[in-house]
Amino acid sequence: MNQFAYHQQQMQAPMPMSYQHDGKSAETRNLKPGELSTGTTIMAIPFEGGVVLGADSRTSTGTYIANRVSDKLAQLHDHIWCCRSGSAADTQALTDYVRHYLSQLAIETGRAPTVKTAAHLMRRLCYENKDNLMAGVIIGGWDPVEKGSVYNIPLGGTCIKMPFAIGGSGSTYIYGLVDSMYSEGMTEEEAHTCVKKAISHAMARDGSSGGVIRTVVVKESGNAREYVPGNALPFGP
Amino acid sequence: MASSGSGYDLSSSTFSPDGRIFQVEYASKAVENAGTALGLKCSNGVVLCVEKPLLNKMLLPSSSRRIHTIDSHSGVAITGFVSDGRQMVNRAREECSNYEETYGTKIPSKVLGERLASYVHYFTLHGSLRPFGTSALVASYDPETKQHSLQMVEPSGVAYTYYGCAAGKGRQPARTELEKLDVHKPETSIDVREGVKQLARIIHLLHEEGKDKPFELEMSWVCEESNWEHKGVPRDYIKEAVEWAKKDIEEEEEFESDEDEEMED
Amino acid sequence: MSLSLSAGGSVRAASANSNASQRTRQPIVTGTSVLAIKYNGGVMMTADTLCSYGSMAKYKDARRLQSINPKTLIGGGGEYSDFQAVTELLKRNALEDKCTADSLYDEDASEECAREVWNYLRAVMYNRRNKMNPLWNDLVVAGFSAQGDSFLGFVDKIGTTYEDNYIATGFGSYLAMPILREKYREGMTEGEARALLEDCMKVLFYRDCRALNRIQIAKVTKDEGVLISDPYELETDWSSAAFITPKATLDGDGGW
Repeated sequence: MNQFAYHQQQMQAPMPMSYQHDGKSAETRNLKPGELSTGTTIMAIPFEGGVVLGADSRTSTGTYIANRVSDKLAQLHDHIWCCRSGSAADTQALTDYVRHYLSQLAIETGRAPTVKTAAHLMRRLCYENKDNLMAGVIIGGWDPVEKGSVYNIPLGGTCIKMPFAIGGSGSTYIYGLVDSMYSEGMTEEEAHTCVKKAISHAMARDGSSGGVIRTVVVKESGNAREYVPGNALPFGP
Repeated sequence: MASSGSGYDLSSSTFSPDGRIFQVEYASKAVENAGTALGLKCSNGVVLCVEKPLLNKMLLPSSSRRIHTIDSHSGVAITGFVSDGRQMVNRAREECSNYEETYGTKIPSKVLGERLASYVHYFTLHGSLRPFGTSALVASYDPETKQHSLQMVEPSGVAYTYYGCAAGKGRQPARTELEKLDVHKPETSIDVREGVKQLARIIHLLHEEGKDKPFELEMSWVCEESNWEHKGVPRDYIKEAVEWAKKDIEEEEEFESDEDEEMED
Repeated sequence: MSLSLSAGGSVRAASANSNASQRTRQPIVTGTSVLAIKYNGGVMMTADTLCSYGSMAKYKDARRLQSINPKTLIGGGGEYSDFQAVTELLKRNALEDKCTADSLYDEDASEECAREVWNYLRAVMYNRRNKMNPLWNDLVVAGFSAQGDSFLGFVDKIGTTYEDNYIATGFGSYLAMPILREKYREGMTEGEARALLEDCMKVLFYRDCRALNRIQIAKVTKDEGVLISDPYELETDWSSAAFITPKATLDGDGGW
């Protein structure tokens, strides 16, 4: 018996049975029994001189909300942040590792690590342990080489630089919305508004996303955290 | 302390009473007898140059290289025990490859120098190991900061960053000549093409025809012209530089002998 | 140099009653077809820039054609993370080759030829499939053999290889192959080769749910080595009268 025995039983139903949706998203389907999932909406948009990252705050076990005010934005270094989705345990462990490696690297090189390096470290961990991890993360931040940049690392451990990134179960509901709202060269203000609006709409349609919106604006001058309470979301036209 | 060496020079794990490690100093001596190696940081790149003595008439000129590429943007020139140097080169390549595999970016010049120095230093710590009889000049470029740099790793395990450096037999007069170039001041810095000529001149200046063994000039650069990759200086240009160098030295000598005559008057 | 690609998922022991599809991994982020043909003076290859996440067209600017040394081009379909790992491995090997070369000069360069890369890939892919942990890719390798003849070869996730004058992977092996068989002839000019590949990519865009009309074309020639184009969009045509006239009217028998 391997560790996935739980869903193996589910999926080994007799063949002639017609397709039935298991009610789970790609991010949550392979969770171990009882594992916490950040069934999530996360997002990042770079702008001239920085990047905005945002996330909802719901953490669930099945349909029970284990934490309604969680923080899915993790700081990896001074100007590098990470949005987490998938297994809470896995993504916490991953960000801890990357944070550790980056702090070591910063000491050795005597300069701030780049977002690309952070993404590369995360991608290595995700790729080399892909069979045992449930993690889809977005890495964003500011560095002197690329300025504001965003990298996406989905389930298999692919690493792709993106003009903007959305992720988590809630993101599927807002692809159209974000495609229509996003344009190249957005200002900080526009990007920030876009992130909050998009996440609001995802939270409204995704049962696994909800609570409050947490954002961070990363710039050379520093990081500014913001919080939008669940009863004051910028939802609607 | 005339006899301070006695008994204290058998192992690099033992200090002498006046605080020296003789094995490390002897290793440096091994470098001091080898062909001269020069490095020069110019305004738009770094040039490496090694005088490779042709020990035997039957030797194939291109064999036993002294300058090695260790990563797309960096090269190492070695002098001293070439076989020791080869170990350093291999280690340097590993460091570059491992760094890029882990962090997804090229290794910063300073980190490369420090890691290579740590490797060399390790061999000065144990009684069961022999220090490296090699100095390595590292020319490298960092695509992130767009800075180029020149470092020298010595048998003691130190690495310093230089504008111009020299190792091997002719290092003392070479350093004097390098200082005269004033490349450390931005207003008098020279470009790599001029740098190649100057290094060729210094090597030929120090070389005494007839007394010293014939030699081959190996030259490489990491510069704008090579797209910041480590490449051999074009053979034609080395030839041109050497011709210029010989002529320049001749003229200088004529000028000096003229001056001598004038003084006699 | 190790033949196996150390990076990658851990090997899980196979138990007698477990399902084969769960023993090996499923691809997650995937690229579709790669097409390539030999032409007069070189080899040309094309792929679109889409990487899908299941049925979602998630990454629209994924580069699936890569130059791994000045004269060797590879194209990949299937799991994109594995393709990234394979290209990184090949580029690392190419850099090692360059560093340990006999000369500091480009003109003396003797990089691995495409046939050698192709053979090496075969060994890597076969090795991984024997560990029941394949790299989930179809790979196309283009370039030249050591003798200077143009080369075009294919390797799949279990280490099967073949060479041909034209190759199509993935959906392309169903949709583009018949077109290539009909239209390909030896000694095509560069323009003809490109037109043929673009025609095939258009058909794939029309009929492959995982394809995009944003493509890259690359060529390998003896003089210029590998050249990979920037992505560009193919013009598509929806003007046929039969397309415009609605079929599902009351008096008709409906349409689909």
